[in-house]
Parts: sequence; C-alpha cells; structure tokens
Amino acid sequence: MLPRRILQFLIIYVLGICALLALKYGAGLSDYVIPGPDDLWRTGTEVFRPFGLDVLNTLTVAILGQVISVVLAIFVGVAGRRATWFGSFIKVAAYNVQAYPIVALAPILFILVGDGWITRLLIAAMICYFPVLLSVLGIMSEPVEDIEHFYRVTGRLRWQLEVKIRAFENLSKLTTVISGSATLAFAGTIVAEFIAANAGIGYSIRIALYQSDLSRILAALFFIGIVLSVYQGLLEITGALVRRTWAGV
Amino acid sequence: MSEHHGLKGNGRALTALAIVLAVSFLPIRSSQAAEAVVYRLKWLFNVSVVGDLYADEKGLFAEKNLAVTVKEGGPERDAIKEIELGHAQFGVASADQVIRARSKGSPVVVIAQLFQVNPLQWIYRSGRVRIGNLSDLRGKTLGVTFGGNDESILRTLLAMAGLTERDVNLFSVRYDYTPFLRDRVDIWPVYRNAQGIILQDQLGAEGEETAFFNPAEYGVRFVANSVVTSEAMVRERGDMVRRFLSSLLAGWQMALEASRQPQVLEMLARFDPNLPPRVLAAQLDATRSMVRPEPNFSVGAFDAAAWRQTERIMLEQGLIPQPVGVERSLEPAFLP
Repeated sequence: MLPRRILQFLIIYVLGICALLALKYGAGLSDYVIPGPDDLWRTGTEVFRPFGLDVLNTLTVAILGQVISVVLAIFVGVAGRRATWFGSFIKVAAYNVQAYPIVALAPILFILVGDGWITRLLIAAMICYFPVLLSVLGIMSEPVEDIEHFYRVTGRLRWQLEVKIRAFENLSKLTTVISGSATLAFAGTIVAEFIAANAGIGYSIRIALYQSDLSRILAALFFIGIVLSVYQGLLEITGALVRRTWAGV
Repeated sequence: MSEHHGLKGNGRALTALAIVLAVSFLPIRSSQAAEAVVYRLKWLFNVSVVGDLYADEKGLFAEKNLAVTVKEGGPERDAIKEIELGHAQFGVASADQVIRARSKGSPVVVIAQLFQVNPLQWIYRSGRVRIGNLSDLRGKTLGVTFGGNDESILRTLLAMAGLTERDVNLFSVRYDYTPFLRDRVDIWPVYRNAQGIILQDQLGAEGEETAFFNPAEYGVRFVANSVVTSEAMVRERGDMVRRFLSSLLAGWQMALEASRQPQVLEMLARFDPNLPPRVLAAQLDATRSMVRPEPNFSVGAFDAAAWRQTERIMLEQGLIPQPVGVERSLEPAFLP
C-alpha cells in the first residue's frame, strides 16, 4: 500500500515536471519563468536537507492539528447529532465559520495568541476541523434504524450506545474521513506557515515566492508530496488495522 | 430606358459596395490605430502608481493610438514573467527582480526608472527609539520580510555597521501591522509614501511621534519601481515603446505638478475612497519627492550607480551566482 502510494506520487510529479519542461522548451521561456533540468537538480540538492527538516516540522504541526481537530469534531459532532435546538445551532455555526477565509481570521489570532507555533497549530486545526466535523455530524445524525429500534423499544438506548452503534456501523466511512483529513491538516499547516509563521515548508515557499524562484517551489512541492503520501499511507494502514480489530473486516 | 435602369442599377450596386467596403474597413482601421497593450503594475492601485493611473485616466495613451489596459499587481504577480509569457507588453518591476531575471536568462529590458528614492523604508516611534547612526540598530527588534528586498537592504546595513544577526532581533514581517502597532517591533518596513503615511497618521492621532529610517541616508540606494519590457519589443516595436513611454512619463510629470494636485487627489480618492484627503495629499507629496526629487528633474532617468550597487549587494549576498552586468539591461534610448 505504502510503496504504491509513493510510486503513484512520483509518477504524477515527474509528469508535471515534464509538462512544465515541454512548455518551457516549446515556448522558448527562460529559466526565470520555468527552471531547466540542471537548475532543478542543483536546487534540489541544495535544499534537500533544509527543506527536508522544514517539511518534517510542518508534518509535526499537521499531525497535532489533525488530532486536535478530529477529537474536537467527534466531541462536537456527538453533541450536535440530535435534531434539537443545540444540534441545529452547532451545525449553523460549523457551516458559517467554514465560510470565513482564514486570512481574515489570522489577524484576530495574532492579537489573541501572537504569531508562531500556537497560531500555526490553531489555523491547521481550524482548516482541518470543519470538514471533519461535517462528516462526523452526517454520520452521527443518521440513525441505524435496524439496530437502534430494538434498543429504543426496550428502553435501553442511551446516548453512549447510540454513538457506539453509529460509529461501528460507519467505521469504514470514519476511518476514510480521518485519513483524508490528513491532506486538510497538511494544507492547513502550510497556509498557516504562509501567513503566520517563521518556520516550516509553507514559510520556505513564501520566501521562494518573494524571490520568484520556481525551482525552490517545485522542490518544496516534491517534499510535501512525498511526506503526505507516506503519512496518508500510514493512516490508511492504521485504519485497516482498526477495522480488522473492531469489526473483523 | 433599360440602359438607364442598368446604369442606375450599377450606380446603386457601386454605392452599396462602397458602403460595405467602408463599413468593413472602419473597424479594421480603428483597431489598427489603437494597438492593444497590457501594462502590469507591481502593486495595487494606490499613490505609488499615480502617474500610471493619470496617464490612463487623461487619455494620454489613446492620444498615441494605444489602447492600454493597466492591470493591478500584487505579491503573486510578476510583470517580467508575464511579459515573457506574452500576457503583457510592459510592466513595473524592482531592480532585484530585474537582476534575478537577467541572471536566469530572461530577455527583460528596463526603459525607465520611476522612483529615484526607494520608498521602502522603516518606520519607528521616534519618541522611544533613537536611530542616529547604524550602530543604533544594535539590540533592536527589526522587522524584515524574509526573501523580500528589504532583507537584502537590511543585511547590507547590518554589515556596514559591523553587526551580525546575533546583535539584533530579526522579526518576520507579514501583511499585518499588529506586531508594530502593539510595540513588539522597533522598526517596521513600509512603503514610506503609501503605508508609511497611513501608519504615521494613525500613530500621530494617538500622540505618538514617528520617523523613517531611510537606507539611502547611509549610502544604500537599492533601486525600486522601474518600467520594463522585452528585448523583442525594443528591437521590433521601437515605435510602440517610444509612444508608450512618452505617454506614461507625461502622465507622471503631470500627476506630480503642484497645479494639478486637486484633480489628482480627486482621482486617487476614487481608487482609494477610504483614505481621508489629508492622508492622500501627504502620500502624493511624499511620492513627488521620490519620483521627482528636483522640480526640473526629468521623470524616468536612470541612476546607473544605484543599479550597479543593487547588483553588487545581490552578488555579495549570494542572491545571484555571478555578475549580470545590469547596465546592459538599461535602455535609456526611449526616454524623452
């Protein structure tokens, strides 16, 4: 599963680079617009170590942000699963806050917690949180009538049991959502680093953009792709293990 | 009768043909007369592009048979790349962009230097922070945009003062001024003629005195906004380049004339309606002193020494691998 993911990423990356190079040589563009293979190789070797460390730094924050957002999303999703006033209130809040651009919220975060590590973590968690919450709300607010009916008529359906039934019956969906949210957490962390940090691969991309250095940006995309492929692959393996242990699937 | 009818018919046919030809040629002639040109600015519409806007508003390009679309710039825009890709014919770029592009083989040419004094300076609270000479930077928290040209300027200034990164605190700057407003940073990079005036006004309203740290006063004259085009345009469309530049520079000359100030401020207020007139007036005054330092100064002239110094700084800081001979990219032949 993992080697296949990495191979697939490498194929996509190489095809992308080849398309850029075809455009470069087809249109006779300079290295300033699209870097040549030698420039790409030189930059790749130059930034291998610093960008490698940057992307691991980003991954650390992304994992923490994802954990926070998943825990929070499950908590709020369970609380807001019912068709009560509170449940509807949570859904409205989730939909509305998701619509706010994070760049508009960033100045408020700067005022509240300053810039740096905490802001990065918060922005990453915020970007990852709402889509996960919506999925959890969708799963948790959908009754599994076949099973719940029995417990309901016998008066034994407590909220803990209801949540367990719905989670168990949608285990595959839940693990897919959590695994997929890794991309959101990673993208969220990079956005956060772009607007509110002095570290991480997003910050390095920002500097490269200031310098119009596409070869550095392409190198950064390579590192992001590789690390994300590995991380998502590991999450999928973990998800499969959880399903096998709990449900024997 | 029939002959008469035939002649009459021929006459009608000829008239109709003439009308058809006239109608079909009209749009062709008018489109040939007004050549379409895209001009990509470096930043958003504000006082820093007042001459560009004025030339467009007053129809100076149209007088030279050019249909110019003036497009806003921004952090993600790069006029040099757009020119090379054919999305624009002219643009505005800073010297560091030109030098980087030349070092990577881009055929970019500079046809005018708009700003004679770099507006990129640092604002500070003069009531609390004192900067009388470069060594006063020691121990201070200095705002810097890592990767931006203010980083190159600041590192040069620190080197001139014999200071290293350990002697100061470098604070990474973004679009948000909160760290400076909350007094967490001693000096903050701004475009003195634009955001600098706004911050000065805001802090002044709260009783705080401000001043600007100008690198040029310490001998660092990093070149700012200049008009660029491609070598092919210069070589093959010299007439168009001349017409474009003469209109553009006329726009700058006129926009900076004191006698036209009311109408220029009225125009700026339309582009930036949130700024009070006194701030716009102060911005225009500051811009005037940077683009036309002397009343008789011819807008657009090159400061070749400053270009050479910019290249040398970039070379020393490893931003370019080898000299590019930036003077070869300066093309003063089109200046009026």
